[in-house]
Amino acid sequence: MTLARPSVTGIGTVSPFGPLRGLIRQREMSPRTITGWPTNGMRRAFLVEPFRPTDIIPGLKTRRLDRLSVWCLVAAGLAMQDAMLNLEQEDRSRIAVVLGTGIGCIELTEQFFQSMATNGYAKSDPILFPEGLTNSPASHVARVFGLRGPNLTLSHKGVSGEGALMQATALLRTGQADVVVVLAGDTLTRTVYEWFEAAGVLSQACLSEIPVPLPFSTGCDGFVPGEGAAAVVMESAERATARGARIYATFSTGHATSNAKAGPLAVRRTLGLASLADVNLVVSSANGSRAHDDLELGIIQEVFTEKVSVVAPKSVLGESDSSGILRLIAALSWSKHKDPSIALLLGASTTGNTAAITFDLP
Amino acid sequence: MGENSVAITGIGVMSPFGPGFTSLSSGLLECRSCLRPLTIFDSGLEVSPTVAEIRDLPALEEKSGFRLSRTDRLAVLAALEAARSADKSADFHESGALIATTVAGLTGINPAIVANPAHFYHEGGFAQVTAYPAYHPADAVGAWLELNGPCWGVSVACASGAISIALAASMVLSGEVPMMLAGGSDALAAYTVSGFNSLQALDPEPCRPFDKNRKGLNMGEGAAVLVLETIEHAKARNVPILALLRGWAMTNDAFHPTAPDEQGRGLAQCITSAMAMARVSSDDVGYVNSHGTGTPLNDVAEVKAYEAAFRGRRRPIPVSSTKSYFGHTLGAAGSLEAAVTIAGMRASTLFPTLRLTDPIESASVDWLTGTPRQQPLPLAMSVSAGFGGSNAALIFELPDGVL
Repeated sequence: MTLARPSVTGIGTVSPFGPLRGLIRQREMSPRTITGWPTNGMRRAFLVEPFRPTDIIPGLKTRRLDRLSVWCLVAAGLAMQDAMLNLEQEDRSRIAVVLGTGIGCIELTEQFFQSMATNGYAKSDPILFPEGLTNSPASHVARVFGLRGPNLTLSHKGVSGEGALMQATALLRTGQADVVVVLAGDTLTRTVYEWFEAAGVLSQACLSEIPVPLPFSTGCDGFVPGEGAAAVVMESAERATARGARIYATFSTGHATSNAKAGPLAVRRTLGLASLADVNLVVSSANGSRAHDDLELGIIQEVFTEKVSVVAPKSVLGESDSSGILRLIAALSWSKHKDPSIALLLGASTTGNTAAITFDLP
Repeated sequence: MGENSVAITGIGVMSPFGPGFTSLSSGLLECRSCLRPLTIFDSGLEVSPTVAEIRDLPALEEKSGFRLSRTDRLAVLAALEAARSADKSADFHESGALIATTVAGLTGINPAIVANPAHFYHEGGFAQVTAYPAYHPADAVGAWLELNGPCWGVSVACASGAISIALAASMVLSGEVPMMLAGGSDALAAYTVSGFNSLQALDPEPCRPFDKNRKGLNMGEGAAVLVLETIEHAKARNVPILALLRGWAMTNDAFHPTAPDEQGRGLAQCITSAMAMARVSSDDVGYVNSHGTGTPLNDVAEVKAYEAAFRGRRRPIPVSSTKSYFGHTLGAAGSLEAAVTIAGMRASTLFPTLRLTDPIESASVDWLTGTPRQQPLPLAMSVSAGFGGSNAALIFELPDGVL
């Protein structure tokens, strides 16, 4: 069976808002002070507060897993609950898992390096090594929930979440799966945060308790890093409604480019024959850094001749390479559309990568 | 030719045999083993491990602001060769790249980073870390070949290289892009040598896949990149079609973080699904280039998978592991072995497993040992598997008139 237009039928998130099933009701969030590693003065980021995974998914065994694997397990479980998927009644060889991540299981990769440095290269830790592999989170989701369909992990700076959504849709459209659990996530560690500091890309809001400048505003001076994982269940609307599951959005089209100059063309191709007037929301990836926001504003202004509503959820989620799905969920949670309309998920990075996906909102 | 067939019009390889697809083909035909003690860096192990390394990496034009890891270099060199026959038309520049990796830029990172990252960056490590992410080899290929289409990293452990080819085929068939460069690249790194050593998965001697006395794997390094496009697109460009990708499938064992399903169920399902997609029977498949790592668990599970998937076949299925020539190249393995499979088909040759003297007993498998077997090979399969339980199977076919 092939599927032309897969729908989002379940949502699970582990974000600075905590672990949540379904939409994110809260809208306000401030960065938290970093206490997990030594810092040179106050340092802030949009961090996920520690929680007990078994409080969310009873019986879940997460000891010695990377935080990204833990969050993906929790988010996937919540999304499948939200989609009312009864795995006992499903053909699990037809359920795929697709993960998008920028830097993968960085936490345990660092710990493995530490074990090499401390114990010597000949006595490094055998538990840490496989858990640091980039595909570990998606593999654990398959193992824990018994999902035997294709299991993919993709990575692309800035548009890793968008890439996962597009590949998940391809699996459904080509009949390689009936259901896909689509994940995207990244964690923050000291090595990542200090790399951002060395690169000089952080906002002053990382260093003190001043408010985070809103993306696209004149006060933008850099970004505040974020972390988290998000999961959506994608399948046919018919399949979902037969179970009584909700249709959050339906994937229409998507295009990606690796050339910054081709960003507007990618958006136009994505919009296709749709009238610009039908697009009532652009879900932007603007993060408060001048170069990034100017790039994205340029794309929006070149494509849209009339005013269009733009939301920039990174103002409360922070910057991460895999924010695409979390931003989509935030926009679905917070937009107030009343009529059927189109949302454009736009991801861009200053290295030139742009991805654009349209979703029909019911 | 099946309804899902995709044309392969370019192949580029960086292997321990030397640069180029031709070096790979000739090395295999000569049954040359590249497995030797590691020399390109200090592994830190008591005894230098047996590996397949690439010595004398060809020079590559630099691009300002772009730091290349060894993995990136292998990927770009392979991609440049693969694209050599492609006219650099507007169509080509609208193409994308899916490049698989597991190691990526870990080759250039020192464990000292963890103790004091800021100091590490200040002392010259800053640029090295830009090449760390799994998307960097794809970015590098896109930059060197001036591709405007999607350039994404794929990281599914040791099945990555085959999976990138499968995903690219879907993208080409959907019309999303005119052409895709797809493959994988991984360089030898102290990190992965230490990791596989910690798992006690390394054979100190040259490996013996599928042998009853096998002791583990040898690591290798390399890259292979294929150019994929629709048959119609290739014909319109009037370029030779080297082979057709006729079918593929991907599954997951959902069994264990590192061990395969003991009965090979996930892999068997993968092989069966690929044959169904290609609309071929098990009798049509003339050869399987196996995953065949040489580890005790993998090889037994793989044999079980062949016994299940090829049950009912009139003759045992010919199988070999070419990791016995150039080791396990991790994220590159699936694409390198796709290139090996095509090389064998084009040379009408079934390459044997080296050092296989006492094979695992199986009535369903025809073990290829000794010297290369000459026979027409119109249709063959390459099989990959990896940590986390992922499996991939690719079925290749020679286009009409090649045999």
